[in-house]
Amino acid sequence: MRLTASIVFATALTAVSIVAGAGGSSVRELLLSMPVTAALGGATTRPIAAQNAFSFAAPNAPREHQRIFSFGNRLFNTNWVMAPASVKAFDGLGPLFNRVSCSGCHTKDGRGQPPADGRGPMESMLLRISVPGEGPHGGPRPVPGYGDQLSERSNHDVATEGVARITYTEIAGYYGDGEAFSLRKPDYAIEQPGYGPLPADLLISPRVAPQMIGLGLLEAVPDATLTALADPGDADGDGISGRTNRVWNAETQAPAIGRFGWKAGQPTLRNQNAGAALGDIGLTSSLRSAENCDAAQAACAAQFNGGAPELTDVFLDKLTLYSATLSVPAQRGADSPAVMEGAALFRGLGCSSCHMPTLQSGGHPLPEVSHQTFHPYTDLLLHDMGEGLADNRPDFAASGLEWRTPPLWGLGLVPQVNGHGFLLHDGRARGFAEAILWHGGEAETAREAFRNTSKDQRDALIAFLKSL
Amino acid sequence: MAKTLKTWTAVGIALVGTTQILEAAPSARVILPHNPAFILSDGEGGEGASEGGEGGGQAVSSYKLDSTDPTAFAFDAKPQIEAYATLVHQSYADAATGADKMAAAIDALLDKPLPETLAAARAAWVAARPAYLETEAYRFYDGPIEAIEGDINSWPMNEAYIDYVEGNPKAGIINNGTETITGAGLAAINQKSDEADVTTGWHAIEFLLWGQDLSTTGPGNRPSTDYIAGEGNNDRRRAYLKAVTEKLVGDLQSLEQQWAPSVAGNYREVFEKLDQREALGRMVNGMAILAGFEFMSERLGVALDSGDQEDEHSCFSDTTKQDFVHDLAGIKRVWEEAKLAGLVKSRNAAVASEVDGLLVDAEAKIGALGNPWDAVLRADAASSERKAAEEAMASLQALADGLKKVGSTLGVLVLIPTE
Repeated sequence: MRLTASIVFATALTAVSIVAGAGGSSVRELLLSMPVTAALGGATTRPIAAQNAFSFAAPNAPREHQRIFSFGNRLFNTNWVMAPASVKAFDGLGPLFNRVSCSGCHTKDGRGQPPADGRGPMESMLLRISVPGEGPHGGPRPVPGYGDQLSERSNHDVATEGVARITYTEIAGYYGDGEAFSLRKPDYAIEQPGYGPLPADLLISPRVAPQMIGLGLLEAVPDATLTALADPGDADGDGISGRTNRVWNAETQAPAIGRFGWKAGQPTLRNQNAGAALGDIGLTSSLRSAENCDAAQAACAAQFNGGAPELTDVFLDKLTLYSATLSVPAQRGADSPAVMEGAALFRGLGCSSCHMPTLQSGGHPLPEVSHQTFHPYTDLLLHDMGEGLADNRPDFAASGLEWRTPPLWGLGLVPQVNGHGFLLHDGRARGFAEAILWHGGEAETAREAFRNTSKDQRDALIAFLKSL
Repeated sequence: MAKTLKTWTAVGIALVGTTQILEAAPSARVILPHNPAFILSDGEGGEGASEGGEGGGQAVSSYKLDSTDPTAFAFDAKPQIEAYATLVHQSYADAATGADKMAAAIDALLDKPLPETLAAARAAWVAARPAYLETEAYRFYDGPIEAIEGDINSWPMNEAYIDYVEGNPKAGIINNGTETITGAGLAAINQKSDEADVTTGWHAIEFLLWGQDLSTTGPGNRPSTDYIAGEGNNDRRRAYLKAVTEKLVGDLQSLEQQWAPSVAGNYREVFEKLDQREALGRMVNGMAILAGFEFMSERLGVALDSGDQEDEHSCFSDTTKQDFVHDLAGIKRVWEEAKLAGLVKSRNAAVASEVDGLLVDAEAKIGALGNPWDAVLRADAASSERKAAEEAMASLQALADGLKKVGSTLGVLVLIPTE
């Protein structure tokens, strides 16, 4: 499959492939030179900007995918129940879990947010946890007695692992023109630990559920493109490195480049979905066959399960097609003066160094996401984002300072879809300006450029981001 | 109407740029709407953030196709548009009347909770449903139904969010909480934290009248003693049933008013002033999206693939087949009573004849579906019941394809969300 993908990619994009052999910076320049259109998701785009804007099937999907997509949507919305239940196909919840459905966090296929009162159990956000050192396959090292994710909910007879507590501190700052702003800095704690005292060296990585659009396109970007875009040693001296994560593929049982998740901890959508099914809902699958119980969690391990596996391959495949083929909403108002000015500033201030406006997909088993030119505003690479954003929790090759550049498509629609405008990995930013102002590390120069530009230009940049 | 979400209008323009679906007169080149605009929700969102809330964008969208041939779509559709408005109004009036009769039967149940009064309330629910199902052909564009459909007919629902279920006698709003139960209060939490957490509408009432369907041969069998005042949490259950019933009646009456003639500022007034082919586009898209998406995929395909009673539309009362029959009847009524058949025949007799035939075929295939529907879902994949269900799906796909040809004939874009 991978070989085929590379060949087709070479055919479709000869120039890129040739320069890919010569050097990564040329791939970058070629992608940056491509015209950006309002069709952010290529042929998967739909011009819809209403409350269900993230919930449509790619319009170019073949008719035979229609029924699979519909059933995948059903699975995504399924409230899993504890086994044994009368509904055999949909039991197996827990014993430990965060929510009972995918849509519980990704409501309307959209984006989660932190709890308004800062108290768990959280609705659309979770805490990854670990202790220093490496765990299986080089991933995070689980917390003894707990595992690698805080389960804030559980079945009867099983204790929950604890409850998240977020407290915010306001930090005052000023734009270059003297205008004041305030950022809220979160602090995370776990209360009511259910399985003994948490270790003093506990590492916490908070994460909101991201929007589900365009994921198949991202999966179909050839590894070679990511490798070409990466500049781990900053060879071109632009202050931006960009690294691929090196993670574990539970399906092939081999290392792979990571591309999904806030720290690119998962290599494919099938892995991502199986990981979320187990970690977030407590459903086993062929990729993740052991229940989500730590060795010390006896009551958890003693629970009745919903079959082996609880999420069958047939279901996992349908869920994966669904998650790969959600349409990307088109950009709105792309030709308005403010948006056009903002788009130019986005490049001029340096945002596009990491938030790559254009990527191209190669071949993929799903034709609707294959061979597309699209505009996700990500390079899918890890970047040092500075101390302010750091979770200080390594995740495979990603350091505690690094985050994967998140796609920006659809962010302007989150208020319509999910009724909020919280951004960044833990929803700390109350809108685009705060999100930009949190950028540090490799993005410090770009952030300072934003902070010191005029109010009109800042507004134009935000108008552009809202148009995505 | 402050919360109107003009979602489905956008569907109509969703595939602008793809020309292969258009089959208009071969001599003329069809010109797609060249500046597809966007449909934004009116002022929703932004609750959690200072920069939230991009709503309020007024956008013009269009189902209308232009042509280089000025005579390509030169026809008068005023009779169709007026007949449609009359039909829609009458349909919602019938639905509201049926719901009102049901409300009277539910009052009688609450007055004297007996097996007989419960049976009468159930019979009134069943009798009221067909008129509502027929209105589903008026969904899926920016009609007034879109703003409140979620309050009226949401499914599938997590019934344990409302009341007790097998294995969890203390489940739901009825058995928990102390807040006063009101229709507005229930609507405020409808599908709030999860799409399955349905609190209002036909299926909430259905669950309150029948209870869970734990039988393989018949519907649910909630005892009438659940409504004896003063016992357990019965008073909360009584208040709940009364509140959701009144809300449903009110919602249906509001739809009737939106389509009533000579009401200043209502949707009908707007609709009748639309460009004719814009109005035709809404009519045809409503029919096609019901046939080719909601009915075929969501109600038949998903249920067949899961085999789970949860995916049965009216699962507590086992009246899902009646729903299917009347969803199709609603499509047919638009075709015939809104005089689309005649208009299409005058433009392209072959297309009109094809759709006539497809409706006959779909009626036969839906009529041949097994009953109750949950028995079909439990049937073996190779069974005759399953085969009949697959044939019904195919007949709806064919009907949706036929309605796309109607769109081409009338110069309107017809698009289905999963295509």
